[in-house]
Amino acid sequence: MPPQLRLNAVAFVSPQNHPILIRTFVQGQDELKYHYIAHTSLDVIDERITAAIASKSTECYLNLLYTMEDVAVYGYMTPLKVKIIIALALTDAVVRDADVLTIFRALHTAYRQSVANPFLRLNAPIDGYNDHAILLAAGSPKWKAFRKRVDDIGKAVGAVAVSV
Amino acid sequence: MTFSPQRVVVTYAAPLVFLSTDHWKQIYASLVSQLPLRNLHWKATTRPTIRTIQELDVKLVSLETLREDQTASQIPQSILQKPLLNIYVFICEDSETYKTTTRKQIKDWHATISQRKNQEWLLVHVVRPDQSVAQGRLFQMKTSVLDKVKADFNTDKKDRCVQLVWSADKDNPAVWADLITKIKEGILSAFDAALTQREEEVRRSEGQRQMPGWNFCTFFILKESLASSLEGMNLYEDALQQYQELEATFFQVLQEKNLSWFGPLITPSSSDDSAPLLSVTKKPYRDLILANTISVFDFRVYLLARQCALLSKLGELEDICQKTVAFLTTFARTLREVEDTLPPFFIESWIYSSALSVVDQCDEWARPLELAKNQLAAFSAAKGELVELARLQLDILGIAAQHLPNQPPFSLSLPKSYNVSRDNQVEEAVTTISRTELASALKDRDAFYELYVSVTNRAIELYVSAGRRKFALKLHGSLASLDVHRGRLSSALHTFTSLPAHYSPHGWTSLEAFMLNRALDIHAAAERPRDQEWIHILLHFLRAYVDDMGKDLLMSEEDGEAYISQLIRALKDAANELDSDTPYPDHPALTMTIADRDAKLAETRDGSVLKVVIQNHLSCDLPINEVEVQLAGRDNSRITYTEKATCLTPGKNERTLFSPSSSAGTYSLFSTEISLARLHFQWKHMKTVKQIRAGLMPTLVHIPRDVHALDVRLKQPPRIELGTPSRVMVVLSTGRNEAATARIQLTAPSGIQFKFHDAEVIGEDAPPIRKDDESITFLDLKRGQTIVAAVPHSDASAYHFIRVNITVEYVTTSEPDVTRSLRLSRVVPTALPVAINVEDFFRGTRLFTRFTLSTTSHQHVRVRSTHLLSPNEADGVKVTSCLAQKPSTVSGRYLFQIDANRGQVRDPLKLQISYRMLREVSEVETLIELAVEEAVSETRALERLRQDLIDVLVKALETDASWVELYGVTGELVVPGVKIADDDLGAGLRRALEVMENYPMVRVSELTEAQILKKRRSPASFGEWREIIIPVDVPQMHILASARLQILENPFSSEKLQKRTRPLYAGQPISALLTVTTSFHWAPPEDTKVESYNMRYDIEDLTQDWLVSGRKRGDFQAKDGETYSVPITLIALHHGELALPKVGVTALPIPGEHRMRSTIIPGCETHQVHGAEKVLVLPRGGRSTFVVNMGEANTST
Repeated sequence: MPPQLRLNAVAFVSPQNHPILIRTFVQGQDELKYHYIAHTSLDVIDERITAAIASKSTECYLNLLYTMEDVAVYGYMTPLKVKIIIALALTDAVVRDADVLTIFRALHTAYRQSVANPFLRLNAPIDGYNDHAILLAAGSPKWKAFRKRVDDIGKAVGAVAVSV
Repeated sequence: MTFSPQRVVVTYAAPLVFLSTDHWKQIYASLVSQLPLRNLHWKATTRPTIRTIQELDVKLVSLETLREDQTASQIPQSILQKPLLNIYVFICEDSETYKTTTRKQIKDWHATISQRKNQEWLLVHVVRPDQSVAQGRLFQMKTSVLDKVKADFNTDKKDRCVQLVWSADKDNPAVWADLITKIKEGILSAFDAALTQREEEVRRSEGQRQMPGWNFCTFFILKESLASSLEGMNLYEDALQQYQELEATFFQVLQEKNLSWFGPLITPSSSDDSAPLLSVTKKPYRDLILANTISVFDFRVYLLARQCALLSKLGELEDICQKTVAFLTTFARTLREVEDTLPPFFIESWIYSSALSVVDQCDEWARPLELAKNQLAAFSAAKGELVELARLQLDILGIAAQHLPNQPPFSLSLPKSYNVSRDNQVEEAVTTISRTELASALKDRDAFYELYVSVTNRAIELYVSAGRRKFALKLHGSLASLDVHRGRLSSALHTFTSLPAHYSPHGWTSLEAFMLNRALDIHAAAERPRDQEWIHILLHFLRAYVDDMGKDLLMSEEDGEAYISQLIRALKDAANELDSDTPYPDHPALTMTIADRDAKLAETRDGSVLKVVIQNHLSCDLPINEVEVQLAGRDNSRITYTEKATCLTPGKNERTLFSPSSSAGTYSLFSTEISLARLHFQWKHMKTVKQIRAGLMPTLVHIPRDVHALDVRLKQPPRIELGTPSRVMVVLSTGRNEAATARIQLTAPSGIQFKFHDAEVIGEDAPPIRKDDESITFLDLKRGQTIVAAVPHSDASAYHFIRVNITVEYVTTSEPDVTRSLRLSRVVPTALPVAINVEDFFRGTRLFTRFTLSTTSHQHVRVRSTHLLSPNEADGVKVTSCLAQKPSTVSGRYLFQIDANRGQVRDPLKLQISYRMLREVSEVETLIELAVEEAVSETRALERLRQDLIDVLVKALETDASWVELYGVTGELVVPGVKIADDDLGAGLRRALEVMENYPMVRVSELTEAQILKKRRSPASFGEWREIIIPVDVPQMHILASARLQILENPFSSEKLQKRTRPLYAGQPISALLTVTTSFHWAPPEDTKVESYNMRYDIEDLTQDWLVSGRKRGDFQAKDGETYSVPITLIALHHGELALPKVGVTALPIPGEHRMRSTIIPGCETHQVHGAEKVLVLPRGGRSTFVVNMGEANTST
């Protein structure tokens, strides 16, 4: 039985570095830990973005951000600068970028589908019409559908095997 | 075997005789000084791109000293182990010597060398410079020695022979250029061949991987030889590539679980947990590999160390750190699987030591490197991660040794599989852990804390220098937690109160809440007084708490709701004890919105009520004291609604706020405030211009007009007397109130001063008043009373209108403790609505004055009467009105006749005009108000629409002027263009219009005063007439001249005929007499003594009509009442009815009198007595001859 990618936590962070959604898939009191991880990852993402700008790269996938004790943190930035951070349980095996990228793409899709909900704009102030972050903040506590989509991905990821 | 870089070996050989000479030694030394080689360009056959080797160190050895037996070893060595190039150096000056000896020696050498695989050879012919020059000069036909050597040995295309022009004295690099190039070529070509062969072997071995008997370790050694060869050639990237491929192969092997070539996973030796990770020499790794006994642990450490060593040569220090972090964390997981077999805390100790040793090693490597700023930052960040990794191990060890509590944030570093009950192992670990600082830290609590703090601080420093602020914040948090655990509450409190500020700006409320929650707990634990600071922490915490995210992280208390309500109770107590008012802006736990944008009137008393909804986002009741809403109106006026409240339940609370102010109008929401004792939650609602432009409109509140409330209006006084101080009438109506005091303040933004001391109350039943510099206060006002006070003010004639801000503060008897204040802004017209033109006509002792009145605005003025009043009849001025007076709506002319005695000082007369504006407050509006009043009185439901009705009608009148004429003539008001809708308003309008149409059609002008009084509804019977009194000076004139031109019957008759008998013919001379009668009747009193003035007359030239003969112009002396006459002759130039020429009479300057250096000309007015006379001139038949005598006598034929 090959080891599997274990998704521990997912975080969506707005372009202005506001947290949109932080979901953890581990039981216990680890939520604080993943909030910390999401927050600190922003520093690394900033470094990566600076580097990406320097090299004129338009890659969304920011690769492994860092590893800390038993989690490996990966980053992804959508073209609209929404940052997606996932924490994978660390394994002593090669994690293929393609697998991680698949997870990110799925999460990005989930986000896009949720943002596309026209009713989100219902309570948003007018001047922030083009500002994503305000939109997200306006919807975030009630974003059940988004949360569910992310949870579904979390469940599905359990089946992604690290095949070699 | 060592890993000191294997250098490229080049052998040299020479004839023995030559080797022993000094000459050779010189050449050798010089050759060595040319090394290392620079800028080698390797065009590899198996690689697509050209690799450039910047610098290559070459080891020059004598062929004899090279031991041949090394090649016999079965273990694949670096291909650099064998020499790549063999050089044979010889001197041979002529062909003979070559043939006899040198050729033989070279042949022997060549025979041994050419057998060797993958080795190149090179023949170096040393010549002296003079020799070569000589050769060139003599044009020797025979071939040179070099050519012969080439012919003998250099059989293939490659040129392996080179000539070295040697001279000991000049060390010229050009001399060596050729040889060095050849050496480079030789080395590269040999290396390429050897490498290709070795790669082929590796590939073959790899292909056999699935075959039985294949051994990973053997393969590893083989492949590593490639890597070390490349490394020896300073091709680090290619070498690294080999190791990466090896690592990949290893993982494949690992996947296949085929680890038979390895020993156990780990065989920990006593110092394994503290050995420097990146040292490749700490164990005989290669031997272990060859013996197939290396443990996976050692193997991977070796693999990592080799890679890092190569990376360090490439200067990729950041990569080293990242690689080691990844390795330590991932491999630690593998080790955990066999943790039971390891000494206690081996893994933690190993990670800790390794991480720190890597940092030290990297610093070592980094020392000679000049890192750019961004590289340095990345490097620091990577090092920081390593140090933090070490710190995490301390967390684990600390919890195990019970130096730290097993709770966040320390417990966050515990691995999943961590078994808490390992207490007994700590004792054991103290002995097994070889890292002394760890061992002592486990034993000694203080040493542990010191270590913990120093490692954390080191990580913080690195993160800060890397610009990773958020990482540093996290570590600061953990330090603060340590302080808590150690009981250093004050410093922990300080950290926990300062940290949230870093998390809140980006909305990381979960982390912020955690920090604040900590701060609160510490505050409680430290038993600090619950002061202002505590309140601020608490409010910040609540702010984070009401956000959804914060709720998830309430960790220190099971029941969040109970926790919060306990906090709220404490907050209330603390707020009561605050010694100063504490505002707190924009707290999200409460939101206040205005439920109804229309304020309602309080009905029974002055003031209005406003409904608001307060949303309490907390889960428990919030005790409060007061709710306040401020509205902002024009000119910074504010209305404050308040309500005393006690408690806000969770969710929506509807509150009704009362404001005692009765100012009506539209206001915008300015601020809201909820007070809890001295703690004030405040929200500002004013919008900036930018926000408004962006579409964020301010909340508007409409406050209806309360007709029964106390009100103050300003009016122009009904009687304006020019020349006296201007006044403004303050009309105070109490409405439903019985006011104990009412203080009125007036201010004008234009700077006009009101003189309250001179104010007086007009009308009977005047209440007592108090006056001071700024206000006037009325006392004891009754219900429904209207008081009018006239307040004089400074000159405002520069303005047409003045804006006056009125502030009224009044206290009603029913609510003596409420001081109501009313702020109003009113506009009072100051300009006169009529303009007056005065024309004076002097006729002897009589003066006719004509006043022309015209309106100055677009409004029509109705003038009722005008009177010219003399202050007292006795002083000799008698005024008689010359025209019958009619009230008229348009401008009018009024003529008065004034008789006055001569030479008396006359007081100015006063012109009194009684008028009113047709629309304004006076006539039509009053009419409309009456009509509406009547309509309203019939239908009670219309009461609230009263103002709307009036507005609609007035607006209709304003838009169209067609009603004016009809109204002016008939007094019937037909309101044009009123749209009547089918609602209450429409019904009201219809009724009001009916009322108006039913007014009797009586012409106002036909009514006498008495009739007006009787006819209640005639236009003149209602409303107020205004009065304006204008002082008029009686004009003065020194000389009044009346000039007259009379036609005489004949030149000699001096009589003036009443009826002319002789007709006048054109072209005939006509005798005329010019008389000028002068009167000094109107001379100013001071000049009455003057007897006479010098004057001049001048007959007007009418060259079309008249020829004037005689003294057309002349001077004369005028005396009071005397007549000066002069005869002239006129000749009419054509027939017809002709007007006589005018006579101009002017006064001449008074001789000898000067004032202000100019002559004095007395005032003079002339009127033409004959001005209206015309004479009939008949045409003359026949022919006439005129002889005009220029002398005294005149004759005619």
